Amino acid sequence: MLRLKVIVPVFLLLSVLFWGCPNSKPVEPYQPTPYTIDIPKGFPTRLNIPKDNPMTVEGVELGRYLFYDGRLSGRTQPDSLMSCSTCHVQSSSFEAGINNPRFPGGIVKGLNGVATHHVMLPMINLVWNFSGYGWNGYIWPENPNPNLRNIEDMVYAAVTAKNEIDGDTTRIKNLFQSIKGYPELFGRAFGSDKVTFKNIEKAIAQFVRTLISANSKFDKYLRGEEQLNQSELHGYVLFTTEQGADCFHCHGGAGNPLFTTHLFYNNGKDTVFTDPMDRYAITGKERDIGAYKATTLRNIEFQAPYMHDGRFKTLEEVIDFYSEGLHNSPYVNPLMHHVADGGVHLTPTEKTDLINFIKTLRDDSFLTNPAFSKPDKFPDDYK
Amino acid sequence: MKFYKYLSIQLLVILTAVVVFQSGCCTGKPPEPVPPAGYLYLSFQHVVDGNPIVFDTMIYQNEAGNPYLVSEIQYFVSDFTLWKNGQALLLDKDEDIHYVDTDIPKSLYYSPSDNIYEGDYDSLTFVFGITEEKNRSFMFVNPPESYMFWPEHLGGGYHYMKLNGKWRDTNEVVQPFNFHLGIGQTYDAQGNITGFVQNYFTVHLPASSFKIVNGLTTKAVITMHVDEWFKDPNTFDFNYWGGHIMENQQAMRAAIENGHNVFSIKFE
Repeated sequence: MLRLKVIVPVFLLLSVLFWGCPNSKPVEPYQPTPYTIDIPKGFPTRLNIPKDNPMTVEGVELGRYLFYDGRLSGRTQPDSLMSCSTCHVQSSSFEAGINNPRFPGGIVKGLNGVATHHVMLPMINLVWNFSGYGWNGYIWPENPNPNLRNIEDMVYAAVTAKNEIDGDTTRIKNLFQSIKGYPELFGRAFGSDKVTFKNIEKAIAQFVRTLISANSKFDKYLRGEEQLNQSELHGYVLFTTEQGADCFHCHGGAGNPLFTTHLFYNNGKDTVFTDPMDRYAITGKERDIGAYKATTLRNIEFQAPYMHDGRFKTLEEVIDFYSEGLHNSPYVNPLMHHVADGGVHLTPTEKTDLINFIKTLRDDSFLTNPAFSKPDKFPDDYK
Repeated sequence: MKFYKYLSIQLLVILTAVVVFQSGCCTGKPPEPVPPAGYLYLSFQHVVDGNPIVFDTMIYQNEAGNPYLVSEIQYFVSDFTLWKNGQALLLDKDEDIHYVDTDIPKSLYYSPSDNIYEGDYDSLTFVFGITEEKNRSFMFVNPPESYMFWPEHLGGGYHYMKLNGKWRDTNEVVQPFNFHLGIGQTYDAQGNITGFVQNYFTVHLPASSFKIVNGLTTKAVITMHVDEWFKDPNTFDFNYWGGHIMENQQAMRAAIENGHNVFSIKFE
């Protein structure tokens, strides 16, 4: 009887102790929720999602936090904060915007105050880009260098570049490891609370792959939901005819709704080429001297300044260039078949119509989509 | 208890009957005879004046005397058909449009997924471009095929071919040419489109008899003789036709008429 009197309280005590022991907490299994990209009608079905970074709801959520969190610089002083969103502004279609108060003229500078070598590229529909990232495509899926293949590597490049975020990856991962809430988010996204820079890259890349624009006026026109006016329709004819402006061979159209081929062209801007970071720097082929990526024209009205060096400030300047400002050279792409005439020679009305069509590619829902915007607060309630 | 024992025996009997019946079905019926068959493996090469093409170098001269270079060739071939005693065998009936791109090495090979019955075949034909029945807009959503779309108001569907390069004109100016073929248009005096012209054509390959052997792959090389596009029966002069012809049916017609001599085949 005495034995029972001893055993029962001891048993109860042990039970309580073990109940409260953190190690006894059942471990939540790593079960991320697959994130499905709804492919808009007419868009490519082949997606550039690396096998080692499948899209998950948790990964995208974490990526969105990191994309917007200025502590991605690895620093906490107010004047040293910088994240992707410092330059990639949603309301400017994830470019800086030519009226950005921090980056006058849309020329972005890193934390060290030095401008990037080229101006920004649109961050739209990149999940369909297989042809390389950057103006010269130096990051591409088949790159023999496994560290220069995809958006994940672009994140690393931007975070560590001296004239961008200028971050130290060890310092960055240690900082996020210490911020309340983040380790749990990493755990849910990648199965481990331990913050690694690889997982930071992966999460941001997942978020970037969700940035899809497919709801412009032109998209609605193709879906039969909206009509284009006469000027816009005429502009589209000019856009897609060789005797018009012939934009479509490089910039797509109804049959290529990405509005880019993601390929690289010397479009006749110059006759002398000295940029050490053109496409030639990647391929070593003469035909790529002075060649750069054809950008998507979706939301292009928000993406000034234009061309790799930002030489044009307005769409009107760009159209004037293609109309009468082309320069012939041995390296100009054959698709610039009007180059010997200096351009396609549009009338003022035709220029207006062409621009009116191009503006039908504006997608306001992309610019305001809450899923793409800055979170109200970060996991530690930091704002 | 007796009832359950009875039920068990009944179930056993039924189960045994089913098993015996099923196995009888499978083993009793003789298997379908599989006709002996082999495979076809086609590769595409591109030559100028009989030699493998050298891109981006102004070393060629066409029949009209235009010095020219070629930068890239992208085109569709479709409806590969084998002929035997006047009977046609269409290969890969449901997926028979193949894209060739001189910048994409893997596009330079095409192996029809159909097995081909053993035997001697008289010839092989294919369509250059895509037939009217199949050339539907938006059927290719993925690059690079989608980059070949042909604008709706010019007839829709896809380019049959983009052959891009440059020529030196009579003023010694080097100009780009886009030798693009697809659906042509007819225009009225005001320049309005009044109709469309299908420019695809069937390529009949001379000396294309071959043999398919059971279990083996027959290989053949299809060669595009690029210079032939500018030669026979029409002398294609870039100085006359200019550097872009998508909206010029006369120029496309001249090119298409030359197309019949453009391809040859050699079995290995």
